Amino acid sequence: MSADRSPDDAGAAAAPPDAAVAAGLEALIRQEIPSAREIGFAGLVRSAGGLSRENWRIDATWVDAGGRHAHRLMLMRDASGTLLNTERAREFAVLRALEGSGVPAPRVFWVDPDGRWLGAPSLVMERMPGSCDYMVLNGGRTLEERLALARAFIALMVAIHAVDWRARGLGEALGAPAGRPSLTELDHWRDEYRRVRLEPQPEIDYIEAWLRRRAPEAEAVVLVHGDFKPGNALVEDARITAKLDWEIAHLGDPLEDLGWITNPARRREHQIPGHWERREIVAAYRELSGRRVREEDLLWWNVFSCWKLSVIQLTAVAEFVAGRYDRVFQTPFWLVRTMLQMMEEAP
Amino acid sequence: MKPSVEDQLRGTCRILENVVAPCVGDPFARTILDNLAANLRMLTGALPAVVRFLRDDNTATADLLGVLRPSLPAALRARIDAALAEPAPDAVDGAALEARNDRLRGLLAEAVVCEGLGAEQHRAIVRLMSERAARMPMRYVPTVSHPPPAARP
Repeated sequence: MSADRSPDDAGAAAAPPDAAVAAGLEALIRQEIPSAREIGFAGLVRSAGGLSRENWRIDATWVDAGGRHAHRLMLMRDASGTLLNTERAREFAVLRALEGSGVPAPRVFWVDPDGRWLGAPSLVMERMPGSCDYMVLNGGRTLEERLALARAFIALMVAIHAVDWRARGLGEALGAPAGRPSLTELDHWRDEYRRVRLEPQPEIDYIEAWLRRRAPEAEAVVLVHGDFKPGNALVEDARITAKLDWEIAHLGDPLEDLGWITNPARRREHQIPGHWERREIVAAYRELSGRRVREEDLLWWNVFSCWKLSVIQLTAVAEFVAGRYDRVFQTPFWLVRTMLQMMEEAP
Repeated sequence: MKPSVEDQLRGTCRILENVVAPCVGDPFARTILDNLAANLRMLTGALPAVVRFLRDDNTATADLLGVLRPSLPAALRARIDAALAEPAPDAVDGAALEARNDRLRGLLAEAVVCEGLGAEQHRAIVRLMSERAARMPMRYVPTVSHPPPAARP
């Protein structure tokens, strides 16, 4: 099976048939393990999840100088249209750095950073046990089980923020923010916004100006997941088996992740009404992390979270209009009122 | 005029959901189909409201530009004056209404970030933006992966 594809063939490839993914993966394995032979695949299927990338499940076997291997793999391949403009090499570096850190994350095998083998930038990782449910905190489990899971999610967030990123080489891979992490993130997503906007968005501009005037200092610089939510985790019974989707992980303010999950627009995913709301989440985070968490700083990150989510949705709109993305999103006016209300409540 | 545009959109949703979707076994394709059908259903309800929304929004945006105008730089004021002096498009010409909306909102995007706006002007901005967000006829329709919840291993 020939897989000597040049980088020029990569780019905005449409989703290939299963055989092309298998051929690309075989070529990638041969590249990474020159002694590999008897490479075989089973059960290749594209899963329904994944808004920003194609997720392919596959079982792989091969023989190499070390013996016979069998692995349950997940191949994450950049879609031709995407919600997030990210680099697989950065994600690969984060997952490698997390190995042995105590943070549950998939073991990563290989990266195809420019799509030489798979037609688009791709990452191959271990397929972990558990299932993914955005609404697991408000699903069919008992309240006691859901509260235990909610606490486990906060403990996981604190564990991510406690990773010694300097010792694990993430300073070089991700780059530490030069000034206030809040401004670094605002600049990053402002650039994304300017890249994707198709029409004037005075609401987004107005809120950005408010954010820029009030950008807070960080209490610490930590590894930030960037899209922390139950939908990006695998849960088996009462245990979180893996945190997934590290493509926008970066070094920044710990309140960024906390602001993402206490953001009122995502309340149904992150909170359990009457039992696990903003107050309980912040108290648990303070207790487990020992951080102060200034309320006005957290509110800034809540507004920023909605603003960033707005930019991500505008990306989806632009990709859909360009004919590269197959799901229909709208300009996120549902977030505008939430942001304006929070801004009015700010001290 | 039968079938009306709404009849046809509604019928297309019904056929996609009842005839096509049950035959789509691939989980990714089914999720995409569910999203498209849900969005088409949303559009069926939103379509008749779009032209009126644009007309009202143009009026409200022009009014707000008038409120902000005294605090804006001269060059921006001149461009606002030129835009506001143009005759309003035909009330049922959707494309012309949208072009005017684009122009007025472009000016508003510049105006709302200017230094020197007063508290009352900021209140007017927030009021217009909140009301506009509430009146917007087209909405994102979230759909879950099929079958929910998606087992990812």
